[in-house]
Order: sequence, then C-alpha cells, then structure tokens
Amino acid sequence: MGASLAFPASIMVLIVMLVPILMLFRYSFNHFDNGMMVEGFTLDSYLKFFGDPYYRDVFLNTVYVAAVCTILSLILGFPVAYFLAKSQSRYKSLFIILLVFPLMVGNVVRAAGWMIILGNAGFVNYFLQLFGFTDQPVQMMYTPFAVIVGTTGVVLPYFILTLQSVLEGIDFSVEEAAQSLGANFFVSFYRVVLPIAAPGVAAGTVLVFILCMNAYATPVLLGGTGITMMAPALYDQITKAANWPFGASLALVLVVATLAMATLSNWFIHRRYVKTMVS
Amino acid sequence: MAKVSIERLKKTFGSAVAVSDFSLDIADGELVAFLGPSGCGKTTTLRMIAGFIEPTAGTIRIGDDDVTHMPVHKRNTGMVFQRYALFPHMTVSQNVMFGLEMHKVEAAERDKRMRAALDMVRMSQFHDRYPRQLSGGQQQRVAIARALAIQPRVFLLDEPLSNLDAKLRLEVREEIRDLQRNLGLTTIFVTHDQEEALAIADRMAIMYDGKVQQIGSPEALYERPTNLFVADFLGKMNFFEGSIMEAGKFRTKNQRDIAIVGADRDTKKVGVRPERVTLSAEPQGPNALAGVIDTAIYLGSIIDVRIRLDSGESVSAQISNRGGEHIQHLSDGARMHACFDPADCVLFSE
Repeated sequence: MGASLAFPASIMVLIVMLVPILMLFRYSFNHFDNGMMVEGFTLDSYLKFFGDPYYRDVFLNTVYVAAVCTILSLILGFPVAYFLAKSQSRYKSLFIILLVFPLMVGNVVRAAGWMIILGNAGFVNYFLQLFGFTDQPVQMMYTPFAVIVGTTGVVLPYFILTLQSVLEGIDFSVEEAAQSLGANFFVSFYRVVLPIAAPGVAAGTVLVFILCMNAYATPVLLGGTGITMMAPALYDQITKAANWPFGASLALVLVVATLAMATLSNWFIHRRYVKTMVS
Repeated sequence: MAKVSIERLKKTFGSAVAVSDFSLDIADGELVAFLGPSGCGKTTTLRMIAGFIEPTAGTIRIGDDDVTHMPVHKRNTGMVFQRYALFPHMTVSQNVMFGLEMHKVEAAERDKRMRAALDMVRMSQFHDRYPRQLSGGQQQRVAIARALAIQPRVFLLDEPLSNLDAKLRLEVREEIRDLQRNLGLTTIFVTHDQEEALAIADRMAIMYDGKVQQIGSPEALYERPTNLFVADFLGKMNFFEGSIMEAGKFRTKNQRDIAIVGADRDTKKVGVRPERVTLSAEPQGPNALAGVIDTAIYLGSIIDVRIRLDSGESVSAQISNRGGEHIQHLSDGARMHACFDPADCVLFSE
C-alpha cells in the first residue's frame, strides 16, 4: 500500500528528471559539425572542456563562488537558525515568515535590487563618495564579489530554514547540562551543540552548495561578462552556439561534480559527527 | 558540600511574577524538596540557583560565596534534568568525563573519578555504551554520576523521576536518597509528586503561585499545615466552616459543635484528615457526627467512604481494610457516626 502511493510521483520523477538527463548524456557523445549536431560517438566535447583553459576557469569560478557562498551561509545562517530554534518568543512565526518572504520574490527581481545597490552610480558608491572614502566609483557589479553577495542572499533562507527545522528537534537542556558541568558558552557550543546539530548543518550546506553550483539568473545579471559560471555557460552553448553536444557535456560535468562534492562533504560530516548518534 | 542560603529571591517575566520573596536556608548535607503544582515557581527557583535564570532581586549564596550573578559554569552545581540531557554523541564514560575535563582534573585522577562515579550508580559495565542504547532508568543513573563526578557544592534535581515508569521511579528514588545520605550531599529536589517529596526530603518547601506556602519536615507539613493550600495539596482534608465559641469548642455554620484543642479566636475553618475519621454505628468520643453513607469505594488497601451528615456537610473517611465484618457494614445508605479526636483537628484562620 505504502509503496504504491509513491508510484505516481516516481513516474513523474522518471519522466521529468531521469529521461532528460539520459538524453543529455547521449547528446554529449554526439558530433558537432558545421553548426549541427550529428548522431555518433565521440569524446570531443569532453576533450574540449578539459582541454580549454577558459572552461576550466568557468568550472573553478563556479566551485569557488559556490564554496564561498556556502561558507558565508554557514557563518551568517547558523546564529539565526540557532536563535530561532531556541526562541520561545511569540514573534517567532513572524521571523520565520520574514525568512520565507524573499523566496516569494524572484531571483531576477532581487538581482535587479542588487544592481541598484552595487552599481557604479548605486547606493553603496554614493555613500562611499559622500563620506570621501573614494573619488572614483568602486567597481562592484560584474565581479565575483557581486555574484557572491547576490547568490548568498538567494540561498541563505534555504540554509536557515533547513538548519532551524533540525535544531528545533534538539533538547537544549544538553547545553545547560554542559554549562552546569563547567563549560562556558563557546565550549558547550563547540563540544555539544555543534556535533548534535551536524546532520542539520550537513543537510543545509549540501542543499546550499547544490543551489549555488547551479545558479543561473544571479550570476548572469550580477556577474555579466566579468565572471562566468557553469549554468550560464552551458545555456549559451545550447541557445547561442546551438552546440548541443558541448552544452550537454557541460551539464553532465556540472551534475557529476556537484553530486560528488555534496556526497563527499556529507560523508565527511557524518563520519566526523553523526555516525555515533544514529544506530 | 556547602550550605545554601537564599534571601528574598524574586523573578518576574514582564508583568508576570514567577517567584516572589523566596527565602530559605539549606544546611550542609540537607535534602530539601520544592513541591508544588506546575507553574508554582519551583523550577524557576531551582534554575536561578543553577544560574540559568537571572533573578530580578534577592541573593543566592552557596557556602560563603554570593553566586547571584555568577555564570552557570563557575557555580559548580551538579544538575540532573527531567529528560536526562545526556550528550547523545558521547559514550557513558565520555559523558561523565566531560565535567572532569571542564574542571581541569588531571588525566589519571579523571579516570579514577569517572570509574568511581559510575560504580556508585552501578553503571560501570555500560561505560562504552551510547545513551540511546540505555533504558530511561540507566540514562538517569548516568546523568546522576555525571553530575556528582565533578564533586559539586550543591546537587540539583529537576523532576528527575517524572520520565520513568512507576517501578523504576521508586528504585531510582531510593538510590538518590542513599547517595545523598552517604555522601552528605546538599540537595535540592524539585517535584510535583507529593509522595516523592514526602519519602525523600528532610524538609520540603511547598510552593504555590510563586510563593513559599510553608517550609518544614514532611511530618510537620502534613500534621500541622498552616494554610488551606498546604492542607489541601498535601493529602486530603475535610473542612468545616464556622467560628470559635469558647476554648475547645468550634461551631460550624450549620450549628454543629466540634470539640477541638485550642482557642484561637481567628479560627474560621477546622480540618480533619480522612484517615483520622473512624466510622461506627454508635457515637464514640466527643466528636461523633451522625450521617448516612453516600458512597463507599473499595480501593483495595483502603475503603474511601463519603458520608452525608445530618447537618448537611459531607465528610470523607478512609477506612483501612482489615477485612471481614469490619468493612461489610460500610454500604451505601447505612447510618453511621463519623468520629474523630479533637487532637486531630487542624485550625485555620482563613
């Protein structure tokens, strides 16, 4: 009975996810001749990817941005999730709604907002010049900085909500127990709360990392030509260059790399913290 | 171990008063139980002593040190929590070790004290288990060992037995009492279970509505409650409203005279415990109130009888079950006299 209930959803997943990926996988081995895809089997596309320093940089940019955004989410998001999980305030649900609120505004709209803030004639530069920190506007748009700020803003609510839901299940009397045994706040946090929160941290960081690796709108709008990431690059290959085999190979590299890194970090966190708690 | 003295302690949350005017001196090696219904302020008081809650006013001293504003980790109290609060990612021995590390006990000594603490609660053979592999009673034993290994100045227990089933509760209760006696631990034990408090405490503080209602030995509180709340909360009591007519004579508002010991003019109520009431067909002694049995409920070791008096009040009597004829005539509708000794009457001025 239980298994059959999952059947319709499983069929959907199969059709909308697995089939396209398999087709891309097949495409990635096709030839690309005179602007046309020709059926066949060649490793040309993969050789191009691994051989061209430009695409190597695109890939490294993507990993770099995703890693920095994930770390920033962890640093900025953990205190918020921790505060929310422990809060007994009657405004708690209001805080949660505030967190969900950005998710209701599209990435493009928010990227437009960042353009106003970070542009050369924007909000930040206005004040920098007003207070005499600089004569010339500081170039922030179309830099990795802008992409990192924008992407972190997009993924942070996901991280906080994921972590908060896991922290919510922790009995915080362990923290009090640690303190009554002589641990100060930081020691009790590091030795007790953090290891117990590890599954939530793992879930949140993996989710955020995957979202960042695959980000499209924010890197295009805030990175422009200044920094190119994988998703925009493969989109360009498919729509502008009509090079389906190469676009498909980029997509598969992205999928495999993302899964590999997510699995690796998950495995590491589990080995370090979680193994002992789950039987 | 050390004595604890609490002076005019107060805690308010916004406009709500959680604890007010709480003063108590606990002697070195004494076990005091805080007893009261939920929301009475007993846990708040304990948490102020442990340092988890900052008092609004008043002082807390442990030994000769004023700890009122000292952070939790410097107070050296051993706390046991309702839900054990063991560290789930550490083994039993690592749990006990944690406090010893925090107190910077030398490695060799640390190991010795960890073993001694686990021996004390008979948990040594489980030293490499994780908390989830232990039963509730075992987990609470480890929590006790963990709290005591640091040789705390005060032993604090917050409803430590309420998550255990009935049989274990009794067992762990005995263990706590034995440890407390043998080690001479100054102990504060918070509970809402009066039997627990009566069984374990040297003295108990009954709390209600943020205030201490009465402090004293279990016997003193049960035998000589000073207010109606204590009388009614601890066990049951029959009350008669009325006033003192003359020394030794109380007249209920239904014009029934009750012989009492004492002559306090302010007396507005007289109480008598159900188990001090005897039933007999013929009047016996100075207080024999005639009536009819309303209900007689068989509870095994006792029979709980409710009598409607001719004067209108109703009185509960607990008759211990000695079998045979003694209980056979306790049937609904039977005419009886509820008899009690004037010395068993407690006088209240409220």
